[in-house]
Amino acid sequence: MNILLALIPVSLALLVLAILAFLWAVRRGQFDDLDTPSLDILGDDERPAPPPEKRDAP
Amino acid sequence: MNAAVDATCFHCGEALPAQAPSVDIDGTPRAVCCQGCGAAAQWIRDAGLADYYRLRAADGARVDLDAGDFLTWDRADVQSGHVVATPQGSEITVVVEGMRCAACAWLIDRALVREPGVTEVGANAVTGRVRVAWDPARTPLSRVLVRLASLGYRPHLAQGEAAERERRRERNRLIARLGVAALGATQAMMFAEALYLDTAGEMSLPTRDFFRWITFLVSTPVVFFSGWPFIAGMASELRHRRPGMDTLVATSVLLAYVASLVETLRGGPHVWFDAAVMFVLFLLAARFLEQMARRQASARLDTLARAQPALAWRVGAGGREQVPVAALAVGDVVEAGAGDVVPADGELLDAPASFDESLLTGESEPVARQPGDALYAGSVCRESAARLRVQRIGSDTRLSQLTRAVEKAQAQRPRVARLADAVATRFVLALFVAAAVVFAVWWQVQPGRAFEVALAVLVVSCPCALSLAVPAALATAHGTLARMGVLALGADALESLARVDTVLLDKTGTLTLGRPQLVEAVSVDGGDVAPWLAVAAALEQGAGHPIAAAFAQRGVPAAERVRAHPGEGVAGEVDGRAWRLGRAGFAMRGDDDGALWLGDGTVGVARFTIADPVRPDAARAIAALRAMAIAPRILSGDGADAVASVAQAVGVAQFQARQSPEDKLAAVRALQANGHRVLMLGDGINDAPVLAGADVSMAMADGAPLAHRAADLVLTGSSLLRVPQAVALARRSQRIIRQNLAWALAYNLVALPFAAMGWVNPGLAALGMAASSLVVTANALRLGRIEGHAE
Repeated sequence: MNILLALIPVSLALLVLAILAFLWAVRRGQFDDLDTPSLDILGDDERPAPPPEKRDAP
Repeated sequence: MNAAVDATCFHCGEALPAQAPSVDIDGTPRAVCCQGCGAAAQWIRDAGLADYYRLRAADGARVDLDAGDFLTWDRADVQSGHVVATPQGSEITVVVEGMRCAACAWLIDRALVREPGVTEVGANAVTGRVRVAWDPARTPLSRVLVRLASLGYRPHLAQGEAAERERRRERNRLIARLGVAALGATQAMMFAEALYLDTAGEMSLPTRDFFRWITFLVSTPVVFFSGWPFIAGMASELRHRRPGMDTLVATSVLLAYVASLVETLRGGPHVWFDAAVMFVLFLLAARFLEQMARRQASARLDTLARAQPALAWRVGAGGREQVPVAALAVGDVVEAGAGDVVPADGELLDAPASFDESLLTGESEPVARQPGDALYAGSVCRESAARLRVQRIGSDTRLSQLTRAVEKAQAQRPRVARLADAVATRFVLALFVAAAVVFAVWWQVQPGRAFEVALAVLVVSCPCALSLAVPAALATAHGTLARMGVLALGADALESLARVDTVLLDKTGTLTLGRPQLVEAVSVDGGDVAPWLAVAAALEQGAGHPIAAAFAQRGVPAAERVRAHPGEGVAGEVDGRAWRLGRAGFAMRGDDDGALWLGDGTVGVARFTIADPVRPDAARAIAALRAMAIAPRILSGDGADAVASVAQAVGVAQFQARQSPEDKLAAVRALQANGHRVLMLGDGINDAPVLAGADVSMAMADGAPLAHRAADLVLTGSSLLRVPQAVALARRSQRIIRQNLAWALAYNLVALPFAAMGWVNPGLAALGMAASSLVVTANALRLGRIEGHAE
């Protein structure tokens, strides 16, 4: 059972890391807008599409 | 179907004029209504952002080609207090009109970042705010704003920025608490699991204690950081000697936590850290959901309120200049263009003009004002531009008086005695008394077990279910309301709504649609009226008249030399023929009969009736309310005839016309004095004091911002049937809250004697606690259904 003495502190350290990362994300404003980012993904997929000039039919 | 699509502007969805320009988007020519929309669509296409048209959930805003140059925004006096200096340059947050869905935010982000000198853009579709960071050395702010306006998003100076920042900080703090609770609670559960799985008691005592201390370590931040809102709430409730829900929640959490700590210290048989942390997590999540639903609603409405014009045109010796409204002084001469909002109370100069004062008075017809007449801030200048001399500014204006009346009425609103709080108060007190008595009795009988049994009493009767009973029901009910299209802004709204027995209705904009529509068109010779309709439409569109929308149709010929005659009508030429559209006296030298005539000045050819139609479902909604034993009455600022005909159409016998905001408020007070619980349904600024003074109030979404701020609930859809549905839901939620409270109390009352006798095993106590909470939560979830009561 001595392995617990190593594993539990490791899990606690990971927990602290996760909490710090989360607080950092909140403070950076990652949760300010929960609606618009879902569209960003859709938009970026279209990037490689032909440039606007070529889309114009003559 | 195709024709219907083609009939409206591809960009903004408005009706198309005769020779509509068209723009190629993705290889398909699309018709647009005006040069402004055309330019916007073209720019969006050329910038490679045409995806916007696929992503959007609502039409864009009509683009005004001549939106202005925004040069005044570069001025230091306008920027002061709004622009923040950052290491990279400057930053400003503006409120924009026309941001209707997330795709708009997407478009704004991408469009502005392409402007040279712009370093960062953050558009938020929920709050309607755009944060722009730019380098003043490379671009003036005005260029960025012109780009914004050219896409149809007209920027306004954001006011109350500090309050908004505070709100954001508050929300982030709540998210942080929730995140810590979720991470901490899952870890605490993991460690507690190890203890639970040791069913045979084979774990060595040092290992067991090691696990308990670790669980303690992980739960402490959850209880004290995440649970802080509850603990702080308890502190404030106790300070006011009114223990309520927060006291109950904090007591449960702290009880489970402290009892576990005591058991850990003295090596007792069981700990409940896991119960404490899960409890914090669940309650925090319920609170988060409820608050987000309400905050999102109020953020959206606040944006509207702040989008009032912060700039006005001051006419000085050197010509016209745009100045902040705050810089206006009594005696200044200001100009309001057609369609502009009058910035301050004042006296009309020069020529007669007509103003829409419906927001202030509820009167649907524009009123004609003569030079020297008083004008009020907040009324809209119609037809032609007007100049006025400022007499009262800022907090002295009629608009501000009404705002103050709202605040005053809100402060004097009768408070509903909160059922849950009353129950909670007594329960918490009784619980502590019971524990003390049990301790004292056992101390006499068997001092060795006294502490253990008193602790068992406290844990088994830990009011977890009781404190979940109300938040769970409220969170579900608010979610259901939002899905129904009713935004609840006030925390007490549901409770008050359940007890309503009288409903007061405003007419214009509430029972009626609030915008004029063509209800009848007859040609004088009895022939086809369509050609005359086209001529009228051409004249109205050319004049940019507010009732033009009533005539909007396809294939309208272009009108030339259009001139508006304030208070009379419009004159102009269509296909080379001179026409007049307006009152009978103006169009054909007849007697005014309230209708709109088309003629050449001497002979009339067609008669149009423009009216504000009653909402199609108003009568059914009122019947449904009556079926719920709620008596309807109409209070309107409009004239008696107009009110009587609407009252008859919707089936309401009691109505009062020509009511000023103060009269309406007095009527509410009188009803309240007779013991009635009043629901007020309105939309205008003139309704705002009444909305604030009624027991509970609802505003229409397309109504005035001030009305929203005064109301407890806002109807987002246009269907009045939502009103009886919301009342039904409110009544149902009160019933379920009562059931929950009864169940939780019954459970605690049954369990208490067993614990007091010292018969309760700790595992059983934990099981009972969980089961009871589950029952209460499941019961609350029944509120998630929308009952088709009035459908």
